[in-house]
Amino acid sequence: MKRIIFLAILGALLLQGCKTTPGASAAADAKPAAKPLEMNPEVLMTSKNAGMGNCLACHAIPSRPELAAGTIAPPLIGMKQRFPDIAVLKANIADQKKFNPQTMMPPFGRNKIMTPEQIDVLAQYIYQY
Amino acid sequence: MKKYILVLLLAFSLPVLAEPVITAGYEEKTPEATLKAIEKLFHETMPHIKGDAFVEGALNFPNSDLPYNKMWAERLAPGAFDEPEEYAHSLAAGKKLWETPFAHGKTMASCFANGGKGAANDYPKVDAASGKVITFEHALNDCRVTNGEKPLDYNDNKTMGALSVVARRLSNGMRINMHVKTDKELAAFNRGKEVFYGRTGKADQSCANCHIQHAGQVARTEDLSPVIGQAAHFPVYRPNPQTGDLNMITLQMRYSGCQKSTGVEKPMKPGSDEANDLEYFHTYISNGMPLSAGIFRK
Repeated sequence: MKRIIFLAILGALLLQGCKTTPGASAAADAKPAAKPLEMNPEVLMTSKNAGMGNCLACHAIPSRPELAAGTIAPPLIGMKQRFPDIAVLKANIADQKKFNPQTMMPPFGRNKIMTPEQIDVLAQYIYQY
Repeated sequence: MKKYILVLLLAFSLPVLAEPVITAGYEEKTPEATLKAIEKLFHETMPHIKGDAFVEGALNFPNSDLPYNKMWAERLAPGAFDEPEEYAHSLAAGKKLWETPFAHGKTMASCFANGGKGAANDYPKVDAASGKVITFEHALNDCRVTNGEKPLDYNDNKTMGALSVVARRLSNGMRINMHVKTDKELAAFNRGKEVFYGRTGKADQSCANCHIQHAGQVARTEDLSPVIGQAAHFPVYRPNPQTGDLNMITLQMRYSGCQKSTGVEKPMKPGSDEANDLEYFHTYISNGMPLSAGIFRK
């Protein structure tokens, strides 16, 4: 009997989790995309691939003024100085809320908007700025 | 055992509140204090915008694509309101719905005091018995149903959008006049507030992220409009980015569009309880602003 109650509570907790992060559950249930995974960082960081990286919507790249960009978030500059450990940069992209609870940056890793491999190539790419 | 099952059933039936973004207004307990806290933030972040100018929304900001907006505004000039080919069709549809007599001879205007002048700015209201929010579009549909007609689809810009803009324009210039006092009104306000500040969708963003916390900043090429003044200027004429056609978009249709563009899998439906509650909170934040329905916005 205790086991049934335990399982029921576990189920309830899992369901609650799904309700608060609908994106995560939908992404997890999604069938594998027919298209090959986008791995070009130049595409991942622009709106050409809306729904994935789209960094420029909020972050400008001061050394690339030709790219239309938003002002919501800090510009991508001095990345190596700001993130001496690239793993920290990747963790920021994966789930910014861990670092800034009131952020509006989408949790690209936590909600499976990008794969860890995509976050990896993107982080390597913006590390040059 | 039964007790445990009952507890579990109760746990499942409780609504799960989305995690809020804690920004100006969220932690204030009353509607008045909520609005004051947002006003205080905007006073700091956009001191050049004062009073009724908030109704101009994103047009207040220097980065707006102003020439583009001006081009459209000229085509939609008030003097030529009945003429521009882009929306003549929608407007004619709205006028027809407003003016065509029902089977027994009465028209829509008979459902409202003063033929509808000064009606729209009194909405949304809360039904004293059910506690549910009644929007102006509900009142339009109620009028139709009471007079033997079918209700219009809240998500149809060609019928409800068109009727709404024609009916709301009768109150343009009149100030939003909401009173949030009773327990049921306060409950509706708080439900809408949770929707406004609550994170949702893949991007885990809330309305408050863009329209309070980052209002006035630029998302790619677009200025983010401040929440104050937004509810006063709907429905808007808005071009379809694919076709260029102008559509009449009600506030609740815009909620749905906003959620689509921020990756919400099941955007809220116009006419749903969630959208009605949000409209109640959202409109209170523009309380006292003059209605300005039927303007152009990108």
